[in-house]
Amino acid sequence: MKQITAIVKPFKLDDVKAALEVLGIQGLTVTEVQGFGRQRGHTEVYRGAEYTVDFVPKVRIDVVVADGDVEKLVAAIVEAARTGKIGDGKVWVTPIESLVRVRTGERDADAI
Amino acid sequence: MTPTPSSAKLSEIRAGVLRRPGLVGSQLRQELSVAYDAWLQALLTARDGVALVAVGGLGRREPAPYSDLDLVLLHEGKVNGLASIADAIWYPIWDSGMSLDHSVRTPDQAVAVAKEDLKALFGLLDIRHVAGDAGLTGRVRGSVLDVWRATATKRLDEMKSISRERWSIAGDAAFLLEPNLKESRGGLRDAQALHALAAAQLVDYPVWVREAYPVLLDVRGELHRITGRADDVLRQQEHDSVAAALDLADSDHDGEQARDTLLRRVNEAARSVAHALDLAWRRVETLGSTRSPRRWRFGSSRPGPERVGLAKDVVSQDGEVMLARDADPWSDPGLVLRVARAAAEHDLPIAPFALERLAAESAPLPTPWPRAALDDLLAALGAGQPAIAVLESLDQAGLLAALMPEWDAVRCRAQHNPVHRFTVDRHLLETAAAAAEHDGDVARRDLLIMGALLHDIGKGFPSPDHSVAGAEQAEVIARRMGYAGDDLAMIVGLVRHHLLLPNTATRRDLDDPMTIRIVRDSVGDSAELLDLLHVLAIADASATGPAAWSDWKAGLIADLVGRARAAVGGSRPPTIPPLDDERRQLAERGELAVIVGADEVVVAAPDDTGTLYRTTGVLALHALDIRAASIRTHAGMAVNRFVVEPRFGTMPDPALIRSDLARALKGELGLADKLAEKERTYSRRPAGAAHRRPSVHWFDDATDATVVEFRGEDEIGLLSRITAALERAGLDVSSARVSSLAGVVVDAFYVTDGQGKPIPPEARPALEAELRSAWPH
Repeated sequence: MKQITAIVKPFKLDDVKAALEVLGIQGLTVTEVQGFGRQRGHTEVYRGAEYTVDFVPKVRIDVVVADGDVEKLVAAIVEAARTGKIGDGKVWVTPIESLVRVRTGERDADAI
Repeated sequence: MTPTPSSAKLSEIRAGVLRRPGLVGSQLRQELSVAYDAWLQALLTARDGVALVAVGGLGRREPAPYSDLDLVLLHEGKVNGLASIADAIWYPIWDSGMSLDHSVRTPDQAVAVAKEDLKALFGLLDIRHVAGDAGLTGRVRGSVLDVWRATATKRLDEMKSISRERWSIAGDAAFLLEPNLKESRGGLRDAQALHALAAAQLVDYPVWVREAYPVLLDVRGELHRITGRADDVLRQQEHDSVAAALDLADSDHDGEQARDTLLRRVNEAARSVAHALDLAWRRVETLGSTRSPRRWRFGSSRPGPERVGLAKDVVSQDGEVMLARDADPWSDPGLVLRVARAAAEHDLPIAPFALERLAAESAPLPTPWPRAALDDLLAALGAGQPAIAVLESLDQAGLLAALMPEWDAVRCRAQHNPVHRFTVDRHLLETAAAAAEHDGDVARRDLLIMGALLHDIGKGFPSPDHSVAGAEQAEVIARRMGYAGDDLAMIVGLVRHHLLLPNTATRRDLDDPMTIRIVRDSVGDSAELLDLLHVLAIADASATGPAAWSDWKAGLIADLVGRARAAVGGSRPPTIPPLDDERRQLAERGELAVIVGADEVVVAAPDDTGTLYRTTGVLALHALDIRAASIRTHAGMAVNRFVVEPRFGTMPDPALIRSDLARALKGELGLADKLAEKERTYSRRPAGAAHRRPSVHWFDDATDATVVEFRGEDEIGLLSRITAALERAGLDVSSARVSSLAGVVVDAFYVTDGQGKPIPPEARPALEAELRSAWPH
C-alpha cells in the first residue's frame, strides 16, 4: 500500500477529485494548507495597506491506494492539476505499513 | 440452568427491554424504570433503618437507556454492617457494567447537602423510594422540600449562574443543528429547573412545557438506544435514524424530510422551555422584590419605581423595556420597532407584558414603511449581539413574522450541512450581528446589515439555488421596508451574490482574467457592492461555525477582492444633491430663516465660521436627532436642510428654535456647556460600554475640494462636535451630506483650506487627529 499526497492549487481540487473518481478511488482526505515552493510569497496592496503574503494557499489531498494503482493515479493527478504556471504544486508517494477501517476493523487491502 | 431475573446482570435486563418491539417514548421509560426497580429491590435485604432511593432520572421514572443510575442509600446512622449492605448493592451494579452515581447518607446529611449544593437539591427533589424503610425516604423528601420552599427566592441568582454557565458550554437548543438535549438552553435540565420552581410554589408549571418536555425525552431515549452510549448531543449523523425510530415520515405536503421534522420539534420544544424559564425567573424576581420587607421600611414617602424615557412612549423600568403609560400600539404601528431599538441599544430585555400588548394591539405598518420604522430596525440590528435576544423575543411573540411574513419560512429551519451550527433564522440574526461589528470599513453599513439579515432567506423557499430565490424574496421585503432605487438594487445584489466571493476564491483560478471578469460582471462594476460582499462573506462565515472560516479562506478571498477591485476602479466620492429653488431663494433673501416641516428643518444663516456648529448644536439641544443633512452655501449664506427625528415625540416650536439660534449665532447661548450637559443626560449607550474607533476617509476625485468622510458610532450632539472640529482645523465646508443609519453616521464634507484650495495629502494626518477628537474617548 502507498499513500499519495498531492499539493495543488485550490481551484484544481474539483478536477483532481473527478479524475480520481473515474479511476475508482472511493475516498480521499483534503486539507487546507499554506506554504511556499519556488513560487514564494508575494506582496499585495489591499485597501491601500500593503501586506505580504508569506505563504500561498493550497489544498493537500491524501489518498491511500494499492501498490499496483500508484502509477496511473499519480499520472491522473498530475494531469488534472497542471496549469503550466508556477505554483502548480507537487505529488509524492510514501509507503504505508498497515491500515484499519475504524467502523469494521477490516485491515490492509480490505480497508482501502 | 436459565438465570432467574434477579441473577441476570442489570445491563442484560436493560438490553432485553430495549429489544422489545414497539417500545418507545414514555412506555420505554416506564418499562425501564419498572425493570430497574425490580432488580434493585432484590439487592437490599435489610429492612430496618436503611432505604435505597432513586434520584434524578430514575427518581422521576424517566431513565434514558444509557444514563447513570443515581442512587442514594439512606440510613439512620449506627446501622450494623452498613458497609456490607452498601457493597451488596453497588458491586452487582458495577459488575453489570452500568454507570452509577451513588452516595450513602443519613437524612440529616442529605438535607445538609441540599442546603449546600443546588444541583444536589434538585436531584433530591425527585427522590423516590425503591426499597427498605419507606419512612426514611418520606422524611428526607419532606425536609428537602421545606428547605427549598423556604430559600428558593434567595437562591435564584445561584440557579441562574449555574444555568448560564451550562448554556455557555452547551449553547441554545432552540437554534442549534446539533443540540444537547439535556444541557443546552431549553433542554431537559431547564425543564427540570422549572419543575423545581413549581415545586416551591413560586410559579405554575406551564402547560406548554408539559407538552415540550416529553418530546425531548423521547428523542433522547432513541438517541441513546441508537448510539448505545449516554451521549445527549443530537448529532446530524443520527438525525435520520432517530427520526425513523420515532416513526416520523417525510412529508409529501411541504417537502419537509423526517429529519427536519425531528429537529424542528426539538428546536420548538427547547424554545418553549427556554421561554417558560425566562418568564419564571422574572416572575420570581418580582416576587422577591415585593416580598422584601426593606421596600416598606422607609415608609410611604418612597417614590414609585424609576422609569427612564428611552424613546417616544418607550421607557425602562427595573431593567426591562416597557411601554409608557399612554402608549397606544394601535395608533402607533412604529412602536414595536422603537421598543426593539431601545432594548437592543441598551441591551435590556423587553418586558413580557409589553410584548403581549404589542402582539395583541399593534396595527400593521403601512407599506412602504415610514422612514423612521426602517431606521429603528436598522439601529436595533446595528447594536450587534444584543439585537439577537431582542429579535428572538419579538419572534417568540409573533411580532417578527408580522413585520416580515417571509420569516416564517426560515423559522426553526434545519440546514443539512456539517459546517453550519444554527438553524436558518438564527444564522441570519447571527450574521446581521456579526455584520454590525464592521462600522469603519464599509461606506454603507446599513445596507450590509440588511443584506446580512436577508442573505439566506431563500433557504425557506423551494428553489435549486437559494441565492436566486433569496434575491426575489429580498426585493419584496426591502421594497416593503421602503427601499428603492440604488439601495434596493444593492440589497438584492448582496443576497443574490453572497456566495460569489467565497465560491470563486476557492474554486477558480485567480490568475485567469476570466475569473476577475466574472466577479466584475456580477457586481456590475460597483466597488461598493464588492466591498459589501467581502464583509458579508466574513460575517456570514463567522456566524456559520468555526469550520467555515480560516486564514486560508480569508487570504484567498482578500486576494480575489484585491484583484477585482483594481479592475472595477476606486469608489466614487459621495454625491451631494444640488441646491433647490426654495433654498436658493432663501439664501438670496440674506437673512436668518428657520422653516420647520413635518420631519425637516431648513436653516438659512450668514455663512460665518461657527454657523454650522451652532446650527447643529441648537438642533441637538432641542432633542432633534439629525438623520440626514444637506449643507450648501449660496450668495454668502449657508442654507442647510436637516432631516430630523424628534427624540421624544413632537417637533419643537419653530419660534423657539429661531430665537435660540439667533442667540447662539451671536455667541450668547452658552452652547458648549448646554450640549455637554445634554450629552451626559441622554447618552444612548449603557454606562461603561466601550466606544469603537471612528474612521476618517479622504477622497480626491472632487474638483476644487477634498472630500473627507467620517464613519463612526452615532451620539447625541455628534454632528455639532464634528463641525466644531472642522472649524478648529481651519477647514471651510462648502457642502456636506450627512446620514445616520443603523446607529452609525456616515458624514461626508467637501472641504477646502482657508485659501479655498484642496487639502494636500501631507496635511491630512494632523487634521485627522483634530477631527477624531470629535468622538468621546
